[in-house]
Amino acid sequence: MLEPIVRFFSAKPPAVLPYYVAGAVIFSILVILLLINLPSRMRKPLIAIVTFLAGLFYAAEFFLPIDRATNKNVLTDYLVSASKLGSLLGGMTLTLGILSLLRVHGRNIARLRAGWYNSLALLVAMVSMVVFGLMDKYGANASAKKVFNVLFEGMLINMDATMFSLIAFYIVSASYRAFRIRSIEATILMVTAFLVMLGQVPVGNAMTDWLPREGFFASLRVENIKQWILSQVNAAALRAIAFGLGVGGLAISLRIWLSLERGAYFEKEI
Amino acid sequence: MQHAFEKIWPVLIVEVLTALIIIWRIISAQRGKELFIRRIPGLNAIDEAIGRATEMGRPVLMVPGIGGFSIIALQALSIFSYIARSTARFGNRILMPVADATVYTVAEEVIRDAYQAEGHPERFDPDSVRFLSDRQFAFASGVAGLIQREQIASSFMFGEFFAESLIFAETGNMVGAIQVAGTVQTTQIPFFIAACDYTIIGDEYYAASAYISRNPTMLGSLVGQDFGKLLIASLCVVGSVAATLSALDVPVLGTASKWFIDLFTIR
Repeated sequence: MLEPIVRFFSAKPPAVLPYYVAGAVIFSILVILLLINLPSRMRKPLIAIVTFLAGLFYAAEFFLPIDRATNKNVLTDYLVSASKLGSLLGGMTLTLGILSLLRVHGRNIARLRAGWYNSLALLVAMVSMVVFGLMDKYGANASAKKVFNVLFEGMLINMDATMFSLIAFYIVSASYRAFRIRSIEATILMVTAFLVMLGQVPVGNAMTDWLPREGFFASLRVENIKQWILSQVNAAALRAIAFGLGVGGLAISLRIWLSLERGAYFEKEI
Repeated sequence: MQHAFEKIWPVLIVEVLTALIIIWRIISAQRGKELFIRRIPGLNAIDEAIGRATEMGRPVLMVPGIGGFSIIALQALSIFSYIARSTARFGNRILMPVADATVYTVAEEVIRDAYQAEGHPERFDPDSVRFLSDRQFAFASGVAGLIQREQIASSFMFGEFFAESLIFAETGNMVGAIQVAGTVQTTQIPFFIAACDYTIIGDEYYAASAYISRNPTMLGSLVGQDFGKLLIASLCVVGSVAATLSALDVPVLGTASKWFIDLFTIR
């Protein structure tokens, strides 16, 4: 029954691809215009029905029994088409995101606000990345490929790594504040963290190396205390949090799926 | 493709039962049943943090994490909607950097709507909600820069956070901002506890919108959640007892326990 939809969303030969893209854009604009101009009393049930059907599709796909040989059920093949619709919406919103960047930074440059040159650098970097990225993917110009390589491998990756490495210093300053012994909770945190850290490093293990490896006293070795804290105390707390989050997620999903969430995000009802 | 495991029926029954309990509690709450909700200090601190920003005349920062458009982001936006209403009332400046384009479009509408609801649409600055980047550390550096440049007074971080959480929290701490954070990522909770003034832990995250809005639907859902947790906790206790009886090979009870354990065993 859904076969034509799957065929529609399958890969198309390059010759007809532009027509499909143009058709999709026109269709999307028409859908948006229709939604904007639809009276509120019709829009509300329409959104509720679409939300319910979309949720039902994913729930049914997850719970319906599968054929063990193919690891699929009757709905699995349609998952790709459904996720492409999601990607399509994501692509459209990305345009709005880029427009936001252009608006904020374009205004900074136009009005020569403090630090306008940073905004200029951002826009130049963004445009360069797009231009050289496209030339790298679709063009044959060796110089463009080199420039893209410098931009991506030489700059972006390294700047990402720089930001990531800052975390090491932030961990030190945050843990210094957290571990200052000011209350019973902070003391427990400090002692526990100290034991786990000792269990992680060779010097910690060496401290209790004189204890036997078997029997009751083996459980007092630092590495075993660390393991006990992580696998018993910590794991139990994390599982309790995970249970709570799971049920909380189920509750909010239900509210959205059944459109019970009125007025939570938008004061006006949709 | 991820699917429910072979023995789906016990899981499906528990899930459907939990869902029915939640719906039942929502309906009860909508019919006017009074419900009690315990005090959550982190959520009480929201008003304190906004008040502080008003007194200092400095902006309020709201970060919805770097996750995509999901129930986690929706929950964050629900909390931010409440915060935006307060800031609209007091005339605070807000900053809301966003890492996901879909979240950005919805966030802008939510915040604009909050200002309209408070009767101050003219106070909404379209540049206050801005898309920065969908790359994790580019976004992190953008937010850290905003915090430093704008010298924010209060920071609210709700949503899906990963390694960048500590960058935000520590930068906020450096400028002396009062910080309230909540995330569903259990790996990031310790970082927030260490660096923020208040942290919302675990399912308190999903309780936040009910707590601050006192909306009957959400309060009912929250009580339903608690019943759901009670059901799961009971299953854990019964499972532990069954595993013990099964290991001890107690006559009759041992066989029943084995059947119970087998029912919930994932292979």
